[in-house]
Amino acid sequence: MTEPLTAMLVGLGLVFFLAGTLGLIRLPDTFSRLHALTKADNLGLGFIVLGLALQADDWNVLGKLVLIWAFALIAAGTSAQLVARSALRRKSTPSERQAP
Amino acid sequence: MPNERSARIELPLVLMLVLKRGALLAAVWLVLAGAGGDALLVGLLVVPVATWISLRLLPASGGVRLYRMLLFLPGFLWRSLLGGVDVAWRVFHPALPIRPGWIKEPVNLSDGGKVALGAELSLMPGTLVAGSDGPMLLVHVLDTRQHTADAVHVEEARIATLLAAAPGEPRS
Amino acid sequence: MSGWLTAWLTFAAAIALLALAGALWRVWHGPAPADRMMAAQLVGTGGVAVVLLLAAANDWGMVDVALVLALLAAFAAVAFVKAESSGGRGDPEEESADD
Repeated sequence: MTEPLTAMLVGLGLVFFLAGTLGLIRLPDTFSRLHALTKADNLGLGFIVLGLALQADDWNVLGKLVLIWAFALIAAGTSAQLVARSALRRKSTPSERQAP
Repeated sequence: MPNERSARIELPLVLMLVLKRGALLAAVWLVLAGAGGDALLVGLLVVPVATWISLRLLPASGGVRLYRMLLFLPGFLWRSLLGGVDVAWRVFHPALPIRPGWIKEPVNLSDGGKVALGAELSLMPGTLVAGSDGPMLLVHVLDTRQHTADAVHVEEARIATLLAAAPGEPRS
Repeated sequence: MSGWLTAWLTFAAAIALLALAGALWRVWHGPAPADRMMAAQLVGTGGVAVVLLLAAANDWGMVDVALVLALLAAFAAVAFVKAESSGGRGDPEEESADD
């Protein structure tokens, strides 16, 4: 019953994964690429986890799936900041780069 | 007055925070190891040790309001969905419609609050936080034609309601 | 689980692997160290997805592998930032306050 839904969600997840990779290749600068990686990738993993969770046969597996996804979400938000900060620092001081 | 509040937390409150931390870690242990007999026995040792380490690394202060967090979650998931769709659309578009740039916005949150805000904004449509410069949050914007400065302050207000400590703590 | 879904999940794992291959191109070309790190992070999340898909198709025991991979990917990003910063403290903000 849930199988078509799982197949669909996994497919949707793949679309976002491919968007993440395409962004990494197509986007012109480091920070824009970081946008694509952080947002698209996580959504991809989210959809895949959601789809697979429908097929989990016991609560333990379900809990692990949720844990993996929650962890990936927190890690993405935090490490995006860390990497952006270190890339910015490497280029120049923030005040020089500011262009409102 | 800065930090007066977190310095003078009464004992029951600290105990509550420790118990909350312990309960969270116990739940994680149950998921990891299952609810079998042996796993529970090991858990009796592991959970207190993990709680102790956790408190050493991140001492209990004001903390986060758990029930507000639950209320916050659906909106957050929805906005991160929008963020992913937005960036995916731009990347798949043949013309690559982006106009990257930087904005600096003053933010009135504690350091921990700023990190949480940065993590959240980095998953929202079009914004990516690259740390802060004093009270100013450095935000990379994927498309400068959008009104991202407003979005920053909307999210700031959301994060402020999640933090139990009063806003306006000292900034470095 | 019916056969067609198992087949689809395995196929999906293969497509996710292709996305990882694309990311490796960025690891190769750089140019900034942060670009390479990002691509490695994508390999991290993508790797988690591949393992999860195969776990669902074959054996749920593999979920533990995905869990460990997810943890390691996060630590890799932190390790990168620490290695990049001059004092090894890994807090670029703190350093900019120093000098």
